[in-house]
Amino acid sequence: MCVCVCVCVFDDRAWYPLGRIIGGTIYPGLMVTSAAIYHILNWLHISIDVRNVCVFLAPLFSSFTTIVTYHLAKELKSPGAGLVAAVMIAIVPGYISRSVAGSYDNEGIAIFCMLLTYYMWIKAVKTGTLFWSTMAALAYFYMVSSWGGYVFLINIIPLHVLTLMITGRFSHRVYVAYSSLYVIGTILSMQISFVGFQPVSTSEHMGAFGVFGLCQIHAFVDYVRSHLNKNQFDTLFRAVISTIAAAGVLTLAVLAALGKIAPWTGRFYSLLDPSYAKNNIPIIASVSEHQPTAWSSFYFDLQMLTFMFPVGLYFCFSNLTDENIFIILYGVLSIYFAGVMGVMVRLMLVLAPVMCILSGIAVSSLLSTYMKQIDDVKVEKKKQRFEGNYFMRSEIATLFVCVMSVFLVMYTLHCTWVTSEAYSSPSIVLSARGHDGSRIIFDDFREAYYWLRHNTPEDAKVMSWWDYGYQITAMANRTILVDNNTWNNTHISRVGQAMASSEDKAYQIMRELDVDYVLVIFGGLTGYSSDDINKFLWMVRIGGSTDKGTHIKEHDYYTPAGEFRVDKEGSPTLLNCLIFGQVYTEGGKPPGYDRVRNVEIGNKDFELDVLEEAYTTEHWIVRIYKVKDLPNRGA
Amino acid sequence: MRGCRYLLLCVLVGVLALGWCQGELNKDLVNKKIERKVDITSQVVKIATKITLENSGAAPVKSFLVALTPEEKEKLSSIIVQSGGSVLKIRETKVDEQPDVAFYKVDLREPLNPSKTVNVDVEYILTHILEPYPASIQQGEKQLVKYSGNHYVLSPYPTTTQTTTVAVPSPNIESYSRLKPTAHTDTSITYGPYESVAAFSEDAMSIHYENNSPFLTVTRLERMIEVSHWGNIAVEETIDVLHNGASLKGPFSRYDYQREHNSYSSIKSFKTIIPASAKDVYYRDEIGNISTSHMRIQDDAVELDLRPRFPLFGGWKTHYKIGYNVPSYEYLYSSGDEYLLKLRIIDHVFDDMTIDELLLTIILPEGVRNIKLETPYPVERLADTLHYTYLDTVGRPVVSLTKKNMVEAHIQDLSLHYRFPSLLMLQEPLLVVLAFFLLFLMVILYVRLDLTLSKDEATESKMRVSSHCEQVHTHHEKRARLYEKLEEEIHKLKSSKDVAQSQTTTKKIQASIKDETQFINDLVGKIRADSTDYADKVAELQKVDKALRECVVQQLTNVEKLVSGKMSKQQYMDTDNPLHRKKEEALERIKSLLSAI
Repeated sequence: MCVCVCVCVFDDRAWYPLGRIIGGTIYPGLMVTSAAIYHILNWLHISIDVRNVCVFLAPLFSSFTTIVTYHLAKELKSPGAGLVAAVMIAIVPGYISRSVAGSYDNEGIAIFCMLLTYYMWIKAVKTGTLFWSTMAALAYFYMVSSWGGYVFLINIIPLHVLTLMITGRFSHRVYVAYSSLYVIGTILSMQISFVGFQPVSTSEHMGAFGVFGLCQIHAFVDYVRSHLNKNQFDTLFRAVISTIAAAGVLTLAVLAALGKIAPWTGRFYSLLDPSYAKNNIPIIASVSEHQPTAWSSFYFDLQMLTFMFPVGLYFCFSNLTDENIFIILYGVLSIYFAGVMGVMVRLMLVLAPVMCILSGIAVSSLLSTYMKQIDDVKVEKKKQRFEGNYFMRSEIATLFVCVMSVFLVMYTLHCTWVTSEAYSSPSIVLSARGHDGSRIIFDDFREAYYWLRHNTPEDAKVMSWWDYGYQITAMANRTILVDNNTWNNTHISRVGQAMASSEDKAYQIMRELDVDYVLVIFGGLTGYSSDDINKFLWMVRIGGSTDKGTHIKEHDYYTPAGEFRVDKEGSPTLLNCLIFGQVYTEGGKPPGYDRVRNVEIGNKDFELDVLEEAYTTEHWIVRIYKVKDLPNRGA
Repeated sequence: MRGCRYLLLCVLVGVLALGWCQGELNKDLVNKKIERKVDITSQVVKIATKITLENSGAAPVKSFLVALTPEEKEKLSSIIVQSGGSVLKIRETKVDEQPDVAFYKVDLREPLNPSKTVNVDVEYILTHILEPYPASIQQGEKQLVKYSGNHYVLSPYPTTTQTTTVAVPSPNIESYSRLKPTAHTDTSITYGPYESVAAFSEDAMSIHYENNSPFLTVTRLERMIEVSHWGNIAVEETIDVLHNGASLKGPFSRYDYQREHNSYSSIKSFKTIIPASAKDVYYRDEIGNISTSHMRIQDDAVELDLRPRFPLFGGWKTHYKIGYNVPSYEYLYSSGDEYLLKLRIIDHVFDDMTIDELLLTIILPEGVRNIKLETPYPVERLADTLHYTYLDTVGRPVVSLTKKNMVEAHIQDLSLHYRFPSLLMLQEPLLVVLAFFLLFLMVILYVRLDLTLSKDEATESKMRVSSHCEQVHTHHEKRARLYEKLEEEIHKLKSSKDVAQSQTTTKKIQASIKDETQFINDLVGKIRADSTDYADKVAELQKVDKALRECVVQQLTNVEKLVSGKMSKQQYMDTDNPLHRKKEEALERIKSLLSAI
C-alpha cells in the first residue's frame, strides 16, 4: 500500500520546472515508518506532532539497533559478548553521528535494518528453517526500502554463502536459508519503485544471482554424488562444468552487448576505484561524505575499537563456525571499503556496527579468560599456602582486567567528548565565542528561510546551490530548482552555469529557468568557511561538465599561477561572475575584507543590474536577491 | 387602493420589527459644551469626547444618542460611554431621518430633568483609519500618514460651543486642513472653539503628518486555553503579524540597516506582557525555537521582549507561537461540582495593538457538562467541538468563540460556568492502572500457557539436569566451606593443644560434611535418570571428595597425635607432606570437575 501511495506523489515544488516523482526517486522506508508511528500514536490518542516523531525516530531506532546488536553478538559468541557489543554501539561516535535526535536520515533506520537482516540471516543459517529465512527476507525488504546501502548487504550474504561452499561447509541449512532469502527478498525488493528491476538487471546484484545458481548446482551435485561412485562422478563433473562455464560467459557477453544488463553504474565504479568518480562525475566527488576517509577519523569515530577489531577477528578465527565466517567477512570487507580503499566517509556507518561486534567479542573473551584467574581474597590466601608456584597468576590477571577497565573508561570518555563536541550541535544554527567568552548564536539560515516563507509570493522560485535545497523546501516552503536528491545532473549543472557566468549570461539562464529569487551563502563577515565561494569550484566543475556549459572552463577561474583567489590578483572571470557579485555586493564597502580567506576582496564596486538585494541576514551569512523583471521597452 | 394598503402593512411590520431598537431624535437636548481629544500618535486613533448635555425641554429625558460617521462605524473597535465614573448602558440603533449615520443609544443613570445638565464622556477607538501616504517608501524614508476626520463633533443635537485637540507624535506635519480658528504647537493642533454648531454638521478634516510608531497588526490570533483540573492551565497563542504601514519599495540593504540606522518605520522588536504567574514560557514558530527573545519577571507581570527572526518592514509579515502555563488556582473557582473559569479573552500582545480576528478555544476536561459562557462584550460563539488527547475516551469539550477588530480595551475577563463531577478526576489514573493490569495479565497468561503441540523431551531433561547441577554446586560450596572450617580447627589445635575441645567441634563439622555428601549422592541418582554423562561426573566428584576427606581426617588425627605427644615432630612432618600434596591434587581435580558440571 505504501508503495503505491509513494508512486502517485509528484512533487512540483522541487526541481522546477521538471518536478520530481517522489516514489521513483527516494527510498520510502523512513517516511513510511515515521508516518506509521505517527498514525498509530494518534489513533491511541497520544497527540504527538509528526515533527516530534521525525526528530525522535533516529534515537528510537538506534536503541533498537543496540538491542539487535546484542542478539547478533549473542548468536555469534556469547551473551557476554552481546552485552559488551551493545554497550559499545550505544555510544560509538561513528553511529551517533546519524542517530542524534533531529537527524532524520535514511541511515538512521537503515543501520538497524541491516543488523536485523544479519541477525535473521545468522539465525537462518544456524537453524536452516524457512521461518528464519523468511524473516531475513522481510528484514532485507525493510532495508531495501530504506537505504541504497542495501547493495552492500546483497553482496555480502552471497559472499558468505560462497565462502561456506569453498570451505566445504555448505549444507542443507545454508541451502534453505539462502535460496528462500534470495527468492523472497528479490521479489520484495522489486516492489520498491526506486529499485524497480535493478535486482535482475544491474551488475551490482549479479553476484547474488550467480551464487543462487551455484547453490542449486552445488545441491544437485551433492545429490548426484550420493548416488554415483567416485569415478563416474568425476567424469560427469568435468564434462558438465566446462559446458556450463562456456555457455555462461557467452550469455553474459550477449546480454551486455544487447544492453540488457546495465553497465556498471558510477557509484559502483567509485566504490571499486576511488579515482573514477573524481575523474568522471564531479557531483559525486563534490559531496564531502564521498571523500576518502582520513586515518585520523577512524580513531576519532571508533577509538579503541580500531585496535580491538583484530583481536576480535583472532577470536573468531580461533573458533571457526558458519556464523563466525560471516562476521569475519563483514568486518574485513567493510574495513576494506571504508579504509584501505579510502572510499567514503559514509561507509563509516557500515563499519561502526561490525567494529562494535568484533570488539565486543574480543573484550568479552579476554575478560572472561582473565576473570577466571582472579579469585576472591579469602580463597587466594589459601591458594598461596597450597600453590606457591602460581604466585603471580592472580596479580597478572588483576592487572590485565584493570588495564581493560581503563580502556573501557577511556572509550566512554572519548565517545562522550566526541558526541558533545562534534555531533551535538545543529549545523543550521552556528555558534561562536565572543571576545568576552559569551556565546554568540548565528541563526541566519533560519532567519533567511523564514523570511522567504512569509515575505515572498507562494509560487516564487528560488535558485540556490543544491546543498540548501531540502532546507529551503522544508523551512521556507518555496519552490526550488535543485536539491540534495541529486537525481538530475544536467539541471544542477545549469544552476552551476548560472552562478559561474557573468551577469548577462546568468540573467539569460535565470529567465530561462524562471527564477524569482537567488540565495547565496557568504561567510566572509563571520568567518563561516563552508560558504558558496569555497564551494564555487565545484559549481564551475559541475557547470562545465555538460554540453550547455562548454563556455565554463575551470582554468579561467584560476590566476595564471594556478591559484584560486578572490583578491585583486584573482582571475577577472571570477571577479566578474554572478556569484562574486552577489556575495560581495556592499560587502565590498569599506573595509571589504573577507575573513574566511583573509584577503581584501578584488572587485569592490560590483554593481548588479538585473538583481536587487531582497534580504540579507543579520550576520550576512545568507543573502537573497530578487531577479528583476525585464525592463520596459524604451524605459 | 389595494397597493396602498399593502404598502401600509409593510411599513407597519417594518416599524414593529425595528420598534424596540428604534432611536428617536429628542429635539430638546442641547450640547452645552463639547471638548474632544483626538489622539493620532500611534497606529490606532483614540477619540475622547467630553459632552455637557442640557435638557431644554419640559419632560425628563432618559436616554440620548451618540452619532458616528459610516467610515468611523466601519473602523470602530470599541466604544465606552461613562458618566460620573460609571459606565452607561449602550446599544446600537437607527434613526429614520439619518439613514447614513450610525447611532448608539445611551441610557442615563437617572432621568435628566428639564433645564438640568449632565456630563458624559464618550471614548472610542478606531483602527486602520490612518492611511500611509505615500503607500510605499524606500528603506531610508520616513513614514507619512494621513488622518481624515471631521472638524466638528458629529452630534444629533445642536452644540453651543466645542473645541477639538488633535495630538500628533512629532512637529513634522506636511499639511493640515484649517477651519478657523486653529492653533498648532509641537505636539498638537487645536480646532475651535466653534460656536453654535447645528446638529449633524460635517466638515472634512485632514492631517498629513509623520508617524513612525509601529504599524503592527495581528491579522489573526488563535488563542488556545487548555484547562486541567490537576492544577494547570496551558495557554498557547498562535499569532500572525503584519506590518501594515507604508510598504517597502525597492531593495532592502543590510548595509544601510546596520550602519546608517535610518530605517525609521521598521520594527525590530516589541514587548508582550503575560500574567505574572506564567511558567515554562516558549516562543517559537514552524521551524523551531526563536533564539532572539528576553524575559523579564516583574512583580505584576512577565514581560517578554520578542524579536522576530527578521526586522519587519512595511508589508512584511511573520508568524509565531507563544505559550506558557499558569496555575489554575488563580483562575478557576469552585463550589462543589460547579466551577467558574475566569480569565482574559485576549492578552497584551504589544502596545497599541490591533487584532483583526481572534479565535479563542477553551479545552475543558473530559466529562464537563452544563457549559455557560459570559463575556463582557458581544462575541460570536462557534459550535462546541471535541478534542482528543492523552488518555481520552469520549473527548474533551471545546468552547470556541471569535471576534473581529479588537484593541487593548478588549483585554477583559470572560466567565465560563460548568459542572464537573470530581469523581471523574479518577478516570485517567484508573485507565492507566487498568491498561497496565491488562498488560501484566496478558504476560502472565502468555508465560504460563504452553502452546506447543508436542513436548520437547530433550530440552526439558536438559533443563532438569542443569537445575540439579546447580544444586550440586551449592551443596559442594557448603561442603568446601566446612572443609575450610575444619582446617581452621586443625590450625587452632596446633596452638591451643586442647584435644578434647577440638574433638567436639571437629566431630560436628564432619557430621555436616557427611550430610552434604549425602545430599549430593541423592542428586546423583536424580541426574542419572536424565543424563548418565553428568551423573558420572558428579559421582567422580564424590569419589575425589572422599579422598580429600580422608586426607583431611588423616591430617587431623596426625595433629592430635602430635599434640598429645604420641608422634614426634619429625614423624609428623614426614606423614603430613605427602598428605598435603595429595590434598592439593584432589582440590585441583575437584576444581576441574566442577567447571565441567
